Amino acid sequence: MKVNFELNGRAASWNVEPGTTLLDALRAKGIVSVRNGCDGEGSCGLCAVLLDGKQVNSCQILAVQVEGKKVYTVDFYSKDRKLSGVQQALIDAACVQCGYCTPAVTLALHELLERSPDPSGDEVRDALSGTLCRCTGYEQFFNAARIAAKRLKEPAYAEAAAPEFAPELRHVGKDRGKVDAAALARGERAFVEDKVPSDACHLLILQSPHAHAWVRKVDVSKAEKLPGVVAVVTKDNCPDQVYTTAGQGFPEPSPHDQRMFPRKVRHVGDRVAAVLAESLEEARAALAAIEVEYEVLPPVLSIAEARRPGAPVVHHGKVSYVVGDPPAGSSTEGDGRDDPIVYQFPLHADPHRNLAASVADGIGDVDKGFAEADVVIERTYKGNRVQCTPMEPHVVLAKVEADRLVLHASTQVPWHVRRIVSRVVGLPEHKVRIIKERVGGGFGAKQDIVVEDLAGYLAWKTGRTVFFRYDRAQEFAASRTRHLMEITVKLGAKKDGTLTAILMKLDADTGPYGQHCLTVPMNAISKSLPLLLCDNARFEVKSYYTNLAPAGAYQGYGAPKGSFALQTALAELAAELGMDQLELIEKNRVRSGSRIEILRSLGEGRPGAAVTLGECGLGEMIARGKKAFAWDAPRSAADGDWRIGRGAVIIQQGSGLPGLDAANAELRLLQGGTLLMLSGGADLGTGLDTVTTKAAAEIMGLDMEDVAVVSGDTDTTPFDKGAYASSGTYFSGNAAVKAAEDLKRKCLEAAAVMLGESVSDLVLVHRGVVKGKKGQVTLAELAHQGVQGEGHHELTGFGNFKTEHAAFPYGAHFVEAAVNVRSGEVKLRRYHAYQDCGTPINPALALGQIYGGVMKAVGHSLYEELLFDEKGKPLNLGFLDYKIPSIYEVPEDFHVELVPVADEVGPFGGKSVSEISLNGSAPAIAIAIHDAVGAWCREWPFTPERILRAMGKLS
Amino acid sequence: MVNEYLKPKTLDEALAALAVPGSVALAGGTWLLVGEEHGTKGDLGRAVDIGELVPSDIGRKGTTARVGAGATFQALADSPALPACLRKSALSMANRNTRNRATLGGNLGADKSCASLVPILLALDATLEYAVRGADGKAATKTAPLAAWLERKDGLALTVSFEAPAGLLAASGRASRTACDVATATVGAAYRLEGGAVKDLRIAMGGFGPRARRMPKLEALFEGKALPDKAGIEKLAEPLLDAISDQRGSAAYKKRRGAVILADALAGAEALS
Repeated sequence: MKVNFELNGRAASWNVEPGTTLLDALRAKGIVSVRNGCDGEGSCGLCAVLLDGKQVNSCQILAVQVEGKKVYTVDFYSKDRKLSGVQQALIDAACVQCGYCTPAVTLALHELLERSPDPSGDEVRDALSGTLCRCTGYEQFFNAARIAAKRLKEPAYAEAAAPEFAPELRHVGKDRGKVDAAALARGERAFVEDKVPSDACHLLILQSPHAHAWVRKVDVSKAEKLPGVVAVVTKDNCPDQVYTTAGQGFPEPSPHDQRMFPRKVRHVGDRVAAVLAESLEEARAALAAIEVEYEVLPPVLSIAEARRPGAPVVHHGKVSYVVGDPPAGSSTEGDGRDDPIVYQFPLHADPHRNLAASVADGIGDVDKGFAEADVVIERTYKGNRVQCTPMEPHVVLAKVEADRLVLHASTQVPWHVRRIVSRVVGLPEHKVRIIKERVGGGFGAKQDIVVEDLAGYLAWKTGRTVFFRYDRAQEFAASRTRHLMEITVKLGAKKDGTLTAILMKLDADTGPYGQHCLTVPMNAISKSLPLLLCDNARFEVKSYYTNLAPAGAYQGYGAPKGSFALQTALAELAAELGMDQLELIEKNRVRSGSRIEILRSLGEGRPGAAVTLGECGLGEMIARGKKAFAWDAPRSAADGDWRIGRGAVIIQQGSGLPGLDAANAELRLLQGGTLLMLSGGADLGTGLDTVTTKAAAEIMGLDMEDVAVVSGDTDTTPFDKGAYASSGTYFSGNAAVKAAEDLKRKCLEAAAVMLGESVSDLVLVHRGVVKGKKGQVTLAELAHQGVQGEGHHELTGFGNFKTEHAAFPYGAHFVEAAVNVRSGEVKLRRYHAYQDCGTPINPALALGQIYGGVMKAVGHSLYEELLFDEKGKPLNLGFLDYKIPSIYEVPEDFHVELVPVADEVGPFGGKSVSEISLNGSAPAIAIAIHDAVGAWCREWPFTPERILRAMGKLS
Repeated sequence: MVNEYLKPKTLDEALAALAVPGSVALAGGTWLLVGEEHGTKGDLGRAVDIGELVPSDIGRKGTTARVGAGATFQALADSPALPACLRKSALSMANRNTRNRATLGGNLGADKSCASLVPILLALDATLEYAVRGADGKAATKTAPLAAWLERKDGLALTVSFEAPAGLLAASGRASRTACDVATATVGAAYRLEGGAVKDLRIAMGGFGPRARRMPKLEALFEGKALPDKAGIEKLAEPLLDAISDQRGSAAYKKRRGAVILADALAGAEALS
């Protein structure tokens, strides 16, 4: 059908099919700024356009319906590569993180300012109510709206997006703009889905409808004969090997227990078959033509069931170990039918009893400690499964070029992807290239190889270009979730609050496969126990296989659940002792100079060692929170049915994995005296490329505009372990610092030769001038000499970073919550996060990371939970039913404050900032709820129903 | 998947097109086209776009308010001609993107249990003007109580009207997990007070059956009597609510939430003008 309309101010006349949505039509015509985050639910708003001046979702409009209408996308505001006032305001307010939602936010604010030039906070909230963002936590959008509004009247208006730090430095600690923000704000081609050629084949997978079943027979004969079908893969013709999808350093602490297509499906959504076809419609038709015979088995749907003697066995294949022996008494003989399991080294596992991994250790004597206690409490806390929900689902484009396999990936771990895909496809690593594109949110889910193995295999096998994208339902069912955990905490204390013993028993549900099965639960211990000083502490961790959705990494990596259990238990102990909870924390917390003995037991798979803490900012952070919340003043009065309560917690995280991981960077001096940073780091929207750019500019005496950065490309950039474990700034940033220092040294040496002076007499000053006692030379001149026949060699710096030093960021989160005693609803009136990230490299972006982290944690604390029926079928596979916070859920007084304590090893004193911010919400909110209504909520999310039950008002 | 798209120019043409089996009326499309993007909606067949054919004006003459079926939720929420309880219900629909597109007519046609507008319109005893195809093939206009029309949903909804006389008190409410959530429970309530006693009480609720409907048993609890306090209302109402357990909560919880929003609505009902 023909549709005539106005697109971005120009007449358009398109031929479209009757059922084509406006979103599909726009993207087909190259308007890629409209994004698909919910597959037609209309719940994410990322496909928004202005239709006759009003913001609407283009996924819910047929293209033919815009006949005679005016359609505007963000591309209108980006003509000639310019930025509108709104786009610039979003950049200035540090609102562009992954950038996947930025075009939609831009349109919403343009529409708002058109009808309300001086909008109130409520109007901003209303305008952005239809746009979901998982990165930013929404708070800085209010600032962007204010800036944009003021600039309507006063074009030069400016305001600081954050305080400045490190006054001795030019770029570090200052807001200089995120290096990729403008391109993302313009809606340019940046993501994998924007780079799909029109002749790419489409890959779809047939997923198991059963939680646990043998795949008896897969009949693909009809599917293979259908037009357009290029290949069909099943258990019968896929590579016969097992691997782990965990993007961790090799050898991985995760069992290799996953076959590309398993002989036995282990969760609803598990892979049964894949179809590669020349069009999406042909792939769908072929998928529908596949016939499968299952032998349905009873599923394991809980930890209790998994550990029950005689329970169904999730994995019954032969168990072997690359290094080391099986634990005594464990079963290793397979049933002769199931896929094998290969452990790289022992994890105290017994898979045939559904135990994927376990560990127990501690210091002192807890039995003695409990015997010495005046008060002992024991409580069990449960954190349910939650989904990372990056707004861009898992997606990959795989192709063969020059007899090599090339993957354009949305990943946190390009090098781990290369290693795993190489192995799965059967290629040496030099035949595989991974190019990390802009990532529309990762949050841990993209630390796993969820789609790349299959797409890479089919591209190599067929020689065709393969596009594989999870839809939103697949993202929920078969991506990676935060492990469900049940944590029992036993605390003993003297009457004065001194802890005498701590025991944490943690059971985790790793789901059908064992990626991160030990390391995530262990992080719940290793990022919570070291906050408290106690001579007797012990932990026991067990991770079980079940037939629920696959678990994996999610921001915080277990720490949010450990923090929830231990910090809430501490508050419960304070209540038992009749103490103020902060008084009890103060009595037992780590502080500057503390000797942290428990780290002897928390060595991340290696022998641990006690650490003497340097400076610790917890005291200052607690003091600021107490003052802001008038902690010692009487509580707020009740407001009708609403009771007011408050809670506070201390939190910590790490900064990468000392002794385990490494990062590298290369910095090239280019003609004209500019720089090319080749960073192995994977920027997920976090601003890592801005960190490496700042490092180069700061050390080389240049401006950030003088530096270009290429990152996360396994061909052109050096190895980096990837973006996980809070390592980005600390590891990849430090590699960039070292590369810049190396280049600077080489430049000074070359200049010394050119100037005939000693290196010790030279200094590199802004902007790129080497000054000596007798003369000077510019970086441009040095670069020129580097490419001349008679000059020195090309000047390139290389930086490698690894460390044994553990850098802990700390934080204190304070919450004031209102709880409705009739309905059980919770409103967050105040949320203050005080956090130490060392020297903040990008202060406003650091604030944004924390706002975003807190809002994700508010989500798992109050709203989010992946639900299953009695057969293990997931029930809420979209944003209509799985509720992540919108801008309406942002606390009324939402405040983040950086309290920096510089780290001696971190880049310019920096530490990690993002993951830690997810550790405070659940315990702080639980404590506030108790403070308000006297009921302890020990299972997240704290839904109104659970709160009413805890209050005894619902049976 | 929509296989055929028609955009009739007249009501006569629209009704003729809709008379063909497999045809659906399309206006805002926010419910009808869910999943259309990814082909998960199933076969919608022929979409007959009536979005610009049905009235979309909103107005008030004296005590009579009229709302065209083509009016969007955002238009309802923004209209000073409408009482606060109706605007509040319109504003509770999802988010601004959706409200800019979703229409009153679509809400009535879909007639879901979570429908945002149906409970308050039933409580206001609204009347619906709708078009049907006459024997001569021409469009004929009919009028019926909205409650009656919802039981058969024949023809094409055109205009909803209701009286907002002095002395009538009304309120709407909803319960949901987050602000932009599908409602767990909805309520609309209207009544007069005579000598301290409730008169002409109408209560409609969603979330307690396949459709949002009037709740005669609840109405009977309070008709002709002085309203109890909120706790009293909840205690009387909760046993009469019938709910199912699903991902939004257990049946017991939904009954509790329903009773709470009913109590809030009855206690907080305000004059319409």
